[in-house]
Amino acid sequence: MPVDTKRVRGPEVSQSPSLFLCKTAAKKSLAQKDTRVDGRQRGQVDVRSVFVRCGLISQAKGSAYIEAGNTKLICCVYGPREMDRKDETDMKSGRLMTDMRFAPFSCRERGSWIQGNDEKDLSLMLLESLRPGVCLQKYPRSQIEVNVMVLENDGSVLAHAVTCASMALADAGIEMYDLVLGCSVRQESGTYLIDPTYLEENGCNLASGSGENLGSLTVAFLPSLNQISGLQSDGEMGEDILTGGVRTCIDGCFKLYPVVQQSLTKAVRRKAPPSES
Amino acid sequence: MATVQVSEAEKVYILHGVRDDLRVDGRGCDDYRHMEIETDVVSNTDGSAKVSLGHTDVLVGVKAEIGKPKPCVPDEGYLEFFVDCSANATPEFEGRGGDELGVELSNTLYKVFRNQCSLDLKNLCISPGEHCWVLYVDVLLLQCDGNLFDAISVAIKAALFNTKIPKVHLSENEEGGKEIELSDDPYDCMRLNVENVPCIVTLCKVGYRHVVDATLLEKACSVASLIISVTHKGMITCVRKVGGGSLDPESIFEMTETGKRVGKALHVPLMELLQKEESLGKKRPKVGFLG
Repeated sequence: MPVDTKRVRGPEVSQSPSLFLCKTAAKKSLAQKDTRVDGRQRGQVDVRSVFVRCGLISQAKGSAYIEAGNTKLICCVYGPREMDRKDETDMKSGRLMTDMRFAPFSCRERGSWIQGNDEKDLSLMLLESLRPGVCLQKYPRSQIEVNVMVLENDGSVLAHAVTCASMALADAGIEMYDLVLGCSVRQESGTYLIDPTYLEENGCNLASGSGENLGSLTVAFLPSLNQISGLQSDGEMGEDILTGGVRTCIDGCFKLYPVVQQSLTKAVRRKAPPSES
Repeated sequence: MATVQVSEAEKVYILHGVRDDLRVDGRGCDDYRHMEIETDVVSNTDGSAKVSLGHTDVLVGVKAEIGKPKPCVPDEGYLEFFVDCSANATPEFEGRGGDELGVELSNTLYKVFRNQCSLDLKNLCISPGEHCWVLYVDVLLLQCDGNLFDAISVAIKAALFNTKIPKVHLSENEEGGKEIELSDDPYDCMRLNVENVPCIVTLCKVGYRHVVDATLLEKACSVASLIISVTHKGMITCVRKVGGGSLDPESIFEMTETGKRVGKALHVPLMELLQKEESLGKKRPKVGFLG
């Protein structure tokens, strides 16, 4: 593990007090209710309402901020810039570089500033989800950098990062085939929870015990082209449950599409010079 | 991953062949290359296996050590994966070149095993909250000819089957603290139940069809692949889309079905083979690395 010499951390043996909390009471209350903690329904395409705004950061070519429930993410896009290494064999198309980081105060337990393996994995999945949507052949010998910072993690972080990054790319004027929207779903035995919160993502496997068909699924989707650009799942599910989950995520993305389009048009209007009349 | 340059004419040739269910080396779209598995190749490990799939060679070593369990699950042991892309495999892996691929492979392995059913982790607990067995699974890529995920998952299953964890028992010492004692008999050990360990199937989309176990040439003609890990019951533990292209939802459903069918069919002969090799005992001919 790389050692962080720039910051003073607590003693090595320090642990977060949340580990010692009594978990049994919370588990039971989660499992018994028909509705979820924030009032949404199980088994229905009920995504959290989303607040999106583009063009927040003046230094970046394009930027976007997204808030879904308590999950808050911010994304900046820089580019197209000249490529760092000029010895790339494939000079015909540009390169997309993604970087996803969590602020140390974003999760329940304090994280580290150094990028761990989880963050590298999420950055790679973000890259794979965004690449099909961007017209990289129009930017030969250039690189476009996308940096996502998670300010508060309350579940389905990768899905919202994909949406936020594609809005920032559109705000930067990068040519794209279509917006890439992300949606995630948490499968439980018999029902599904769309757009899960952090507690629902992590606490549920303890509550339902050794139930079958327990897992999470994240899908990145291009709505007008009807193409899936990113798919990631873990846990253990049957094939039909997985297929149903993918269809649910696609429905969730369609629900999100008009909101994202509206906020992009508002951002363009704000940027446009005021009309003469 | 190691890449080959493919001309347009070669791409068209491969695409037309796949469309008619005939690949360059004569296989059908759902066929694997010749696979050779040998366990117990490295004597310093607690379990090891070497798998050759065509020209891809993978060596897995499992070492069991006693460590502290994770704070959120005090009554379970855990596994740690590390994949090393050796510079022997291709010149691209020289120095830090293979690190990115290694991190991607190990992260996928963590996801594949992140569920309740693959391995019984409660068996690995020695004393809750204080001691547990940690299995360090180290994967070494010796030769790279496409389809790394499949070869690695088969090798991990074989190595875990071969793993012998020594039996320990706890005793109280004078001050009242716990002491761990290993039994004197080197053959007195615990084996793992690898029935539910999943196998990974990689499906590459070539043209309008998808192929299992793609060679490097076929990979260069495909825009996207789907990695599915399937248990012997047909349950899917991890799905991931890799590559820079996008897939139609209908293609994904077809590929999932094929992956589940192929994966399920892989488990039964694998377990039979491993048990047959085990039953040969000391008399089996050792092939090692020169065969």
